[in-house]
Amino acid sequence: MKPLEPEDEELERSGWAKIGEPFVVDLAYEDVFFNEYVNLGFRTDRWVVPGPVLRTRVKEAEVAYLAKKGRERLSKKEKTELKLMVAKKLRRQMAPATRAVDVSWAVGEGVVRFFSHAQKPAGAMTELFKKTFGLTLIPESPYTAAVRLGLDKGQQKAWHALELTYLASGPSRQDHAAEEE
Amino acid sequence: MKAAATLESSAAGGEPVNLADRIELRRFVGRELLLWLWLESELFEGTLATKEHGQFGLWLSGRLVLDEGQESTIIKGSAPGMNREAKEALLRGKMPERAGIHLSFGDHECTLTLRGETLAFAGLAAPRKKGDDAGGAGAGEPPPIDAPPVRRKSKKGDGDATYLADEAFYDRMHFARDVEALISALYRDFLAVRLSPSWEAHVVPALEAWVAGGDVDADRYRAARDRVVGRKRLG
Repeated sequence: MKPLEPEDEELERSGWAKIGEPFVVDLAYEDVFFNEYVNLGFRTDRWVVPGPVLRTRVKEAEVAYLAKKGRERLSKKEKTELKLMVAKKLRRQMAPATRAVDVSWAVGEGVVRFFSHAQKPAGAMTELFKKTFGLTLIPESPYTAAVRLGLDKGQQKAWHALELTYLASGPSRQDHAAEEE
Repeated sequence: MKAAATLESSAAGGEPVNLADRIELRRFVGRELLLWLWLESELFEGTLATKEHGQFGLWLSGRLVLDEGQESTIIKGSAPGMNREAKEALLRGKMPERAGIHLSFGDHECTLTLRGETLAFAGLAAPRKKGDDAGGAGAGEPPPIDAPPVRRKSKKGDGDATYLADEAFYDRMHFARDVEALISALYRDFLAVRLSPSWEAHVVPALEAWVAGGDVDADRYRAARDRVVGRKRLG
């Protein structure tokens, strides 16, 4: 993990940190390997500049710039550059918001546990995991759990023929299936 | 979220070739697991059993969410499954999407939310140990961290702190694995029944009677499900 700096172009960055200690990013062997587990903190830094503060400061900067140049209007490019400059200045006065989620990879089980259900960090962690370890994670589902438990041939056949059990008192299951088709 | 770093799959005739389809087209099985747990917890008065765990307590508690498409029904309470509205939602074609579950096994007493379509846990809080100040580990979005802690210089006693941190980690992981093993054993037994003719012959009629508020012969049902589960264990 390379912590986010005010001068960086990115507004958000994720990386690995020590589990339980998100500000420890130089990882030693004993920080990561716990017997059969590979443990990491998935850290995300994000700049959160309050909108009203940014708007006010940009307005002030625009007024000051126009007065200095003796002009009445700014070009689109100048507006963008001013906004960027003000945002960077504000970032220097604050720290990025940091969030960390524990990740524990039970290597023997072939299972990674990610202690968050939020989709965005889960997606970002999956991407980083692939980049770091070269393995694609497949989120748990009834199918993956069934495969891991191991179905015999008869069960596999029944699995492929499964249909939803429908308890509604109105239309029959067959009617419901026909409607879906 | 739990994810498999590697996955062995077995191809068979008629199954979707695409892994995404194999996953997506069978997500309803997880909802049926919740329905089955709900049925059994009521039929067996909150006492279920698996081969590995023996008897343990399991009942619906907290929040039960049922839905179909955009429409959902949320029932809260100490026994949301007993609420008539919950059964009526089933009769309107809704299926459990997630359920709060109370577990009482071994030395553990805990609650969690089990999501049907992902089989993921939420809000699993490990039992507190004496002297613990921190609350349980939630599984939602983590709170932002205010500022970097000052890194302590190495000093005598740091070894103890590391040992305690490691111990807390192992306790947390072992607890999560214990709960996962229990849910996994229940899922295995559910699949044994669900993928056998006994589902249509015994479970569906029991479900229909139970949902309609009729009587279900719990002993007869138990005998039928145990025959299938026992046979699978021997196999």
